[in-house]
Amino acid sequence: MFSLTEDIIFVAMGIAAILSVIFVVLAIITKDLVKATIFSAVQSTLYAFLLYLLMSPDIVLVYVAVSVGLLPLITLVLVKKVGRYEKV
Amino acid sequence: MRRYRDVVFVSLPIITIALILIPTLLGAIGPLPPIDVRDLAKTYLYFTLDIYNKSLWAASPEAVTAIVWDYRGLDTFYETIVFYTAIIGCLALYREVVRKPDRSKGEGLSIVVKKATAIAMLGIVAVGASTVLHGMLTPGGGFQGGSIIAVAPVLAIVVFSRILVDYSKITYEKAIMLRNLSIIGIALTALAPLIISLGNAFIFQNQVKAYTTFSYPSSILDVFMGGSLWFLNLFEGIAVSMAFFIAFKVLLYTEETSKEVLIGEDYGY
Repeated sequence: MFSLTEDIIFVAMGIAAILSVIFVVLAIITKDLVKATIFSAVQSTLYAFLLYLLMSPDIVLVYVAVSVGLLPLITLVLVKKVGRYEKV
Repeated sequence: MRRYRDVVFVSLPIITIALILIPTLLGAIGPLPPIDVRDLAKTYLYFTLDIYNKSLWAASPEAVTAIVWDYRGLDTFYETIVFYTAIIGCLALYREVVRKPDRSKGEGLSIVVKKATAIAMLGIVAVGASTVLHGMLTPGGGFQGGSIIAVAPVLAIVVFSRILVDYSKITYEKAIMLRNLSIIGIALTALAPLIISLGNAFIFQNQVKAYTTFSYPSSILDVFMGGSLWFLNLFEGIAVSMAFFIAFKVLLYTEETSKEVLIGEDYGY
């Protein structure tokens, strides 16, 4: 039903999706909020890759600018104001 | 305790997905969409650039932009207004300090970083502008290009320090004015068919329709420009980039300047 190219694309999507889950977990369990922001940006990058493979370049363009560029910046500004390490 | 929390954390999404998935597969939400739902997409793809049947076309090879601004222009207009209002809320919170230059006396990062960033900023603005202006030909459009352009002034604030941005030609008043003018531009582009043809057209009308004769120019030389889509993308791009610029300028104030707003409340004004 599917050609080899499509199979490769689906495998790449699967790998990106699983990796993104790992980075989400890392972002949640880490106590260092700067590291959490970086993990979340990596997860956003993987999501952008996923959206690109799903053939929605319109969404990729806005997603890269907002969630890899502007959102980590806002979060880092916030972290600078509230302190870097999460208290348990 | 920690392990217990981790187990709950891992099992919660699994349970949630199962709770949604199993009833869906058993048919609890009614009949699922048929396989031929893709016909809708096909219809749009056929009609956006059908030069033989121009009754419903948008004169744009890019179907997404055509749907966003031509077929569903009002939706996008209201989204733009929501974004506009959200930024106004942000500015209203900081109304005491938005016009003042910041107190920081920083000199920015090193000369190497400054030079590299200056070159990168030019590239960012160029990519953003081409995304906005080619919105009717290639993927992208007003919001996408505007948010790409917005990264450049944010980089400038971080790398060159605020002093450059505070004393540059792009003042707060000018940014606000550009943003308001572009919103008016969007509204006028939507209403122009009605005004020019004295009510004998539709709002957000792009090309000529049955019963109405108004039509934006569909191409420049031999390139399709999508009629009103080009103007709408341009205004949206300016509005979004200016909105992000103002919002970040306000958010990146130093701590002392930000606190002036809070001190005001302590004294009861």
